[in-house]
Parts: sequence; C-alpha cells; structure tokens
Amino acid sequence: MPHQCVRCNTFYEDGAAEILKGCPCGGKLFFFIKKEKLEKAKEVTVNLTPKEKQQIEFDVLDIIGEEAADDQPVVLDMEAIRILKPGKYELDLVHLFKKDPLVYKVGEGKYLIDIIRSFSPSKKL
Amino acid sequence: MMNILKKFVDKVFRDLFKKKKHIRLGLYGPPNGGKTTLANRICQDWLGEDMGSVSPIAHETREIYVKEEINIKSGRKELSFNLVDTPGIATKIDYENFVKKGLSVKEAKKRAREATKGVIDAIKWLDDMDTVIVVIDATKDPMSQVNITIIGNLQARKTPVLIVANKTDLKKADVKKIQAAFPQYSVVGISARYGNNMDNFYEALFAIAG
Repeated sequence: MPHQCVRCNTFYEDGAAEILKGCPCGGKLFFFIKKEKLEKAKEVTVNLTPKEKQQIEFDVLDIIGEEAADDQPVVLDMEAIRILKPGKYELDLVHLFKKDPLVYKVGEGKYLIDIIRSFSPSKKL
Repeated sequence: MMNILKKFVDKVFRDLFKKKKHIRLGLYGPPNGGKTTLANRICQDWLGEDMGSVSPIAHETREIYVKEEINIKSGRKELSFNLVDTPGIATKIDYENFVKKGLSVKEAKKRAREATKGVIDAIKWLDDMDTVIVVIDATKDPMSQVNITIIGNLQARKTPVLIVANKTDLKKADVKKIQAAFPQYSVVGISARYGNNMDNFYEALFAIAG
C-alpha cells in the first residue's frame, strides 16, 4: 500500500525506511492511500500549493491531538479522513465507527499504536 | 465457596438499597438538528440554566459538553443522568459553507478543522453512553447516510435509542416520515426551541432508560 509524503508528494511502499524515519524533504506526515485510489490522490495533492500543504500538516496534527506532537512520523489513513484542501474534509463514517485506527504513529522500525485510543479525552462522566 | 456467598449477599444488599438509576445520556445526530437546543431545554426544565450556545451556522458545537447530575421525575419514577452534548456528525465538512454564512476564510477553516476533530471525538465517546438520543431535523429527509450509520451502529452495540424528531414548530416537519424510516424505534416529535411536547419526550426517555 502506498504512502505519500504530504510535503513533497513522493510515494513510498509499505515498510520503506523513509516512512519510519521521515521523508528526506523533512516531511513527517504521510497519507496512507489504497492502490485503487492512487490516481485520484495524485490529482489532489499535485494541485496543492506549498502553503496549503503546510496548512494541511498543521491541521492534521491538530486534529489527531497532542500525542502526535513529538517528532515521530505520522501516517493518516486517507480511507477515514480525506483532506482535499485546507478546510475541506471528507469523513468515512463507517470507517470511523468501526474504530479502525485513524492515524498510525511510526517509530522504532514499526507502526506503533492506535492513537485514537491513546488520546481519548479524560472522561469524568 | 465463601467468596461466592459473600458476592451473592453483597449483590442482594446492593439491589435492595439501590439508589435511583444513574446513566450517561448522549445527544447525537447530524449538525444543526437541534442537539444543543434540546440540551438547553432539558437543562432549563430541570436545572434552570442553559448548557451551550446555539447558532444557525452548522457545527456550532465542536467539543463534547457534559452536564452532570440532572435529575428528572415523571410520576413516581426518577432518573438521574449526565447529559453529554456532542458535535454534529457529518460526512463532509467544507469551510466554504461557513464563508457563505458570513465567517472570514480564516475563521471558516478553523471551524472546519475543529468540526472534523469534533466528529472523531463524538464517535469515540459513543463507547461511554448508556442511552442515546438521536436528534433529527424533522423537516429533512431522515434517510441520510449520517442518520443510518449512527442508528445502525447503535443497534449493533445494543445501546438503547430514542429518536427525537425536532423542529415540529416548522411547517415542513414530518414526524411520520421519521417513524416510517426507523419503525423499530420510539420516535417522539418535539420543538426543542419552543418546548413543545416535552412531557411526551420525558415519558419516552423513561420508557427507554428508566
């Protein structure tokens, strides 16, 4: 399954060293895209300006919460949230309700944890 | 053996002196269905205060709000709950819709980002709900992807659901259409804004959660 660096649009295959360490361009955020949707994804990201890409990086990190604020690369599953441009989001509710991981944090040579579980708000119900 | 006996005695005593039922009650639904207006109505009816702010621009509620210890009564029955108001669940969030309503581009993009986060949070919190009220705008087609996904998911979780067909003060409101769309659920038509039919709403709530 391809991963795309949000900053420079480069695609990487599963397990590529760049995903684990971060892209050579300095990007630490990757979109995880299904092969069959690759062509459509390419069209979207090619049309983004550098400023828009920067904004998307900021937005994704804000959406997924503080857990991702350290320096590890992050992979956002585009099946769950598709960001077309800053401020334009498409959400796949079935995916979200299934509690599939939304975001993978990457580190120490492997995909680590399901952030959606780890950044649950403190629930004082 | 003594352990089992002790557990049994404990349970009998707990049941005998059980306090009134306390649940976590979540308000869910698409944006601008009137969740916060209903939350405010419930809080006004039983606590004499509002819970959150409402707005004609969608996604006004972008964080989870909890009002603790609301006690309601109907006849001899009492129900105590924590009311959880959630952001509206949507499949598409586009800042341009907020710009059309008068927000600046910067404000609109921020609202879109927060609303997206809100949808994810709302879904996450569903795990903690004992009973859910799904608030639907009765002037709109109920067979939307959002409604069907929420209600289908709650059914799979076996969470008790009460469907509120809100905005019955508006001419276009059609409660029967909502009943027809979800025949296996209790549907109660109300106007949260004007407090119409709230007695029936509380009765239905007792029937589901009491």
